[in-house]
Parts: sequence; C-alpha cells; structure tokens
Amino acid sequence: MRILIAEDDVETAGFVRDGLGDLGHDVIVTGDGSDALNAALTDSFDLLILDRMLPGLDGLSVARRVREADLSVSVLMLTALGQIEDRVEGLDAGADDYLVKPFAFSELAARVNALGRRPPSQTITKLRAGGIEMDLLTRAVRRDGKSIQLQPREFQLLEELLRHAGEFVTRMMLLERVWDFHFDPQTKIVETHMSRLRAKLNECGLPDAIETERGVGYRIRAE
Amino acid sequence: MAFAVSLAFSLAMLLLGAAVYYASHSALSRQMDTSIQEAQTGLVSEFHTDGLAGLEEAIRQREGSGRDTLGYALFDAKGHRFAGHLNATMPHVGWATISFLDPVEGPDPARALTTRLAGGYRLLVAGDLEPVEQIDVTILSIFAVAFAGVLLIGIVGALAFGGYLRRRLARIEETAGAIVAGDLSRRMVVGPREDEFDRVAASLNLMLDRIASLVANLRQVTTDLAHDLRTPLARLRNQLETLGNQTRPGPARATVEDAVERADEVLKLFEAILRISELEQGSLRSRFAPVDLCKLIRELGETHAPLAEDTGRSLTIEAEGQCIVYGDREFIAQALINLIENAFRHTPEGTPILIGASESFQGPCAFVQDYGPGIAKHDRQRVFERFVRLEAARSSPGHGLGLSLVRAIADAHDAEIMTSGTGGLGVFLRFPPCQCSGQLDRTAKNVA
Repeated sequence: MRILIAEDDVETAGFVRDGLGDLGHDVIVTGDGSDALNAALTDSFDLLILDRMLPGLDGLSVARRVREADLSVSVLMLTALGQIEDRVEGLDAGADDYLVKPFAFSELAARVNALGRRPPSQTITKLRAGGIEMDLLTRAVRRDGKSIQLQPREFQLLEELLRHAGEFVTRMMLLERVWDFHFDPQTKIVETHMSRLRAKLNECGLPDAIETERGVGYRIRAE
Repeated sequence: MAFAVSLAFSLAMLLLGAAVYYASHSALSRQMDTSIQEAQTGLVSEFHTDGLAGLEEAIRQREGSGRDTLGYALFDAKGHRFAGHLNATMPHVGWATISFLDPVEGPDPARALTTRLAGGYRLLVAGDLEPVEQIDVTILSIFAVAFAGVLLIGIVGALAFGGYLRRRLARIEETAGAIVAGDLSRRMVVGPREDEFDRVAASLNLMLDRIASLVANLRQVTTDLAHDLRTPLARLRNQLETLGNQTRPGPARATVEDAVERADEVLKLFEAILRISELEQGSLRSRFAPVDLCKLIRELGETHAPLAEDTGRSLTIEAEGQCIVYGDREFIAQALINLIENAFRHTPEGTPILIGASESFQGPCAFVQDYGPGIAKHDRQRVFERFVRLEAARSSPGHGLGLSLVRAIADAHDAEIMTSGTGGLGVFLRFPPCQCSGQLDRTAKNVA
C-alpha cells in the first residue's frame, strides 16, 4: 500500500514509517498539515494516517478536505487520550478509523491492514475462509460442510475474523466492532467468547481454525 | 447539657432559700424566747421582792406601757386567771406553744413560758407568733418569686442556648458528613459574629483547604505521572514487540512477549488513571445521550454469561422493558462491567450474582448484587476511593482503580452509589430521573 503519514512528532513518525516499511508498505512522512493535504490531493495514496494536532492545518481539516475532494482513500486518525470528543469528531470529519496515542504498533498494523483490505461493497452475503462458511442472511455457519450453532456474539466475532481473513484482528478492534466499546474494559470478555467460538469450531478434533498471536490478536487462515 | 446546668443551679437556689428561711426563722424564734425569758425573770424577781401584789402591779405596768409586745397571765392554784390580759387556759410548766384568744383576731398561736411560783401560782409569759409567721411568709414569697424567676430564666436560657449549640454543631456535623461522603469541596459556614464557633469553623476550613490541596496535588501527580510515562512506556513496549518479532520462537521470545504483556498492564493502569481524571474534569456532559439501562444490562449479562459459567457462578439478569437515563453509554457500561468483574473477583466460585436495572421511584437504577461474603459496612464507601484495596482482596489481581472509576463515572452522571450488605455486597447506581421524555420516541428507535 502507498501510505502517507502526517505526524509532527519525529520519533512517532519514524517508528511508524519503519514498522510499516518492514511490512512492505510504501510510506511517505510529512510533519505539516498543509503539505499533507497537497500530497493527498496531487499524489495517489491508499491510506492517510493523520495526527490530529498538526502545524499548518490540523488533521481533522485535512480529512474533511480530502472527503470534499471525493478521493477514494482510507483515513486513519491518530488522537491523544483525554479528548473525549476526538473520536466522534474524527469519524464525522470522514475518518474510517482512529487510534489513540500512544498505541502498540501491532494495533496500528492490524488497522492499516484492515483498511487496506476494505471490501469494495457491503453487499456480500457469504463469507468463506479456512474451510468455514458463513451465510450472513440465514446466519448459518458450516465448517467442512458440518453445521455449527453459534451465539450472537460468537457469530459477530467469527464474522469479523472472516471479513479480515488472513490478517490479524486485535482485541480492541473486536471490542469496537462486536461490542461497540471504544474503550478497553480491561476484562476477559473477548478471550472468553473467543474460546467458546474456538471450541465450537474445533469440535470433533479438527485442527484449530483460529490462530492467536500473543499481544497482537486473532486470525483465521485465508486459504 | 444546658438543662443539667440549669437544674443544678435551681437546686442550689432551693438549698440557699431553705437555709435562709431556716436561719431567719430560728433567729427570730430565739430572739422571742430570749425576750420571754427576760420578762419572766424580771417578773419572778418582782414576785420575790414585792410579793403577789408587786407582781400584779408589774404586769399591769408592762401591759399598760404599750411598748411591750408580750402577753401575761397569772393563775391561781386552781387554774383561774386573776391577773394579766392574756386570754388563755393554764398550760403546763415550761416552754409550750399555746393558743390564746386575741381580742381582735380570735384564737392565735403563741410561744409561752410558764413558771410555778410559791403558793401554787403560775406565771405565763407569751409572745405572739404572728410576726414570726409573717416574716416567714414574706421570706417564703420573696423566695418563691425569685425561684420562679431563676427557673424561668434557666429553662428559657437552656432552651435557647442549647438550641443554638445544636444548630451550630448540626451544621458542622452535616458539612463533615458531606466531606466524609466524598465532597471535598464543602466548607463550614463562618458567621459574621466571629464567635467561638465561627473561629472553630474558620480553622476547620483552613484545615480542609489544606487537605483538599494535598489530595488535589496527589491526584495531579498521579495523573501527570501516568500521562508523562505513557509515551515512553509505549515506545519501550513497541521496541520490545519489534524485538520479539525478530526473535525466533523459543524461550527468549516468550520472555520478550511476557515483558510486552507486563508493559501493557502498566499502560492499562495509566489509562484508567487518565480516564478518572478526564471524568473529574467534567467535559463528558456534552456527549450525553439517552441510554437504555435495561438493554445495556441485558447486553452485559449476555457478554458475561460465559465468564460466569466458566467459574461456576450463576448470573441472573433482571432487566425487563426499558429504562432510559441520560448519559454516556460506554462509560456506564464501563462502570457496570467493573462492578460485575468485582463481584466475580471477590466472591468464591459458585456464588450467585444478580444484575439488573429498573425504574425506581427516585429515578432509573442499575444494580449488581452478589451473594458472597460481603464487606464490612465501614469499608463499603471506602472501596470507591482511588487505590483502595481491602486487606482481604490484596491477594487477588487488580490495581484498586476499578471501583474508583465507577465512582468517577457515577459522579459525572450525577448518579448516586448506594451499597447494601444484604446477601453479600449489593451496589446500586441510581441515576437522576431522565428529563428526556420528549426524546423518548426517538430514543426508543436509537437504542432499539
């Protein structure tokens, strides 16, 4: 992916650039909001990572102007904790996702991947990966043709994993998308429901369908 | 207290009155006895020198003088009065209180001394007791009036002073209670009179200012520390993660991954501290919206059911229908999750837990009730303070911020935290009645 990072904190910008570069992305960094807007309007990027507080033009305005220009680019906002309004404002301004600083790099990487793999339309009704099939209309789930009964939360968890098959989905992403919690309740609810889901998927001694990476998240194999 | 003092004072008055009465009465009686004795002695010596005729003459003189207040009577051996105007029957010899017939007032008591003379005659000298009685009556009535006055002043004074004391102390007590309940901004009322109470109130206020500023400093330091340490800690965490990714799977990688998890725990603690301070700054209200407590409880119940099942606890949900509060859904969820987690953490396995929400008389209310061992009454409010972990809970995980976050969230919503000790521990979050009835229709759609 071609990614533009607008971040005035040199250290954060450097570590994000290096990390994303290691993952094979093409990363350009700027420390100024107006420069970022110019680059976004003239060059073509898959993703903009915008810090909220920027010299020149603040991140929110950059996002708004990019949306006004009708560019098909994903926007990820970086916000500082302590500004409760930030998330809502960021999403209102047209950001696709947001991340509170300081963040774990694995969290950023997972979100960047998720944004890059955004499905072109939400109209798909069937998800399929790793021998697992999910029908979003009939809410039927099968593994290797065998039907599996899931609770609503387990269904939503599996749906998120299947939508991002092959990529890691973090705990925080699952909390946001399945529970609509934009905070970490610091409990084991994700782990508990995930272990239920896993037990149901792996019945009859099938190999583990869900891969867990410590400190990163969960992934369902794509093949 | 004031009553006891005025009662003691009245008793002292009563004793004093009794003493005065007794002293004056006995002094007067003694004086009368002395004059009777003297008159008797004078008359007896008259009898010895001049005989019966001399005595009669002396009595006549005395009675005629007008100055003499005593009465005289001389009886023959048969008991017939033949000299003196004192109209009385013959008494026995010696001191006695007799009754004589006053020509004006009728029968009257008198103090009398009777002496036997040679030849069977008896001489009676008596003093009218009426003056003494009159003085007694005067003293008694003066005293009664004075006593009634003192008693009245005492009672009124005690009532007024006691009431004043109680009022002042009640105000101090009420303020102290509010401060104990967590409102550190409350201060004692200082009146314009600058009396002792005002001075005490002023110095209490100085003390409270000092305590409040120390507490604020402590909070600020904690918050600043959390804030300033987060970024470097997050960098450290990310470097560790990078290191982990570059290490081949094995013990070294596991150690690095452990270190990353430890760092995450500290970051979470800092996040909780910053969240509390964010709530305390009170900018939350601007994003309040109607929230259905019943629906939230049902969601949380569903979310926590597997957790309960895994630990052998039973989780019952009582949240029928709809129960709207005006607030922030995520923060309320956070508070309820912390309460549920707390119930899970501090009760033995197999403990039944009940969560619910309902529209109570004073407003919508959500509750988490466990049927575990409970906690002592005096600890129940204390657990909602920052970093407070009861001795019994030291061995279980947690950083002691979960319940103080609940408190900060409740405060930000003007909700009241109530605890009960029936069963195990019950915590109730009572929200102010929702002023959003006009929005209900829209709300029902939003939260449905």
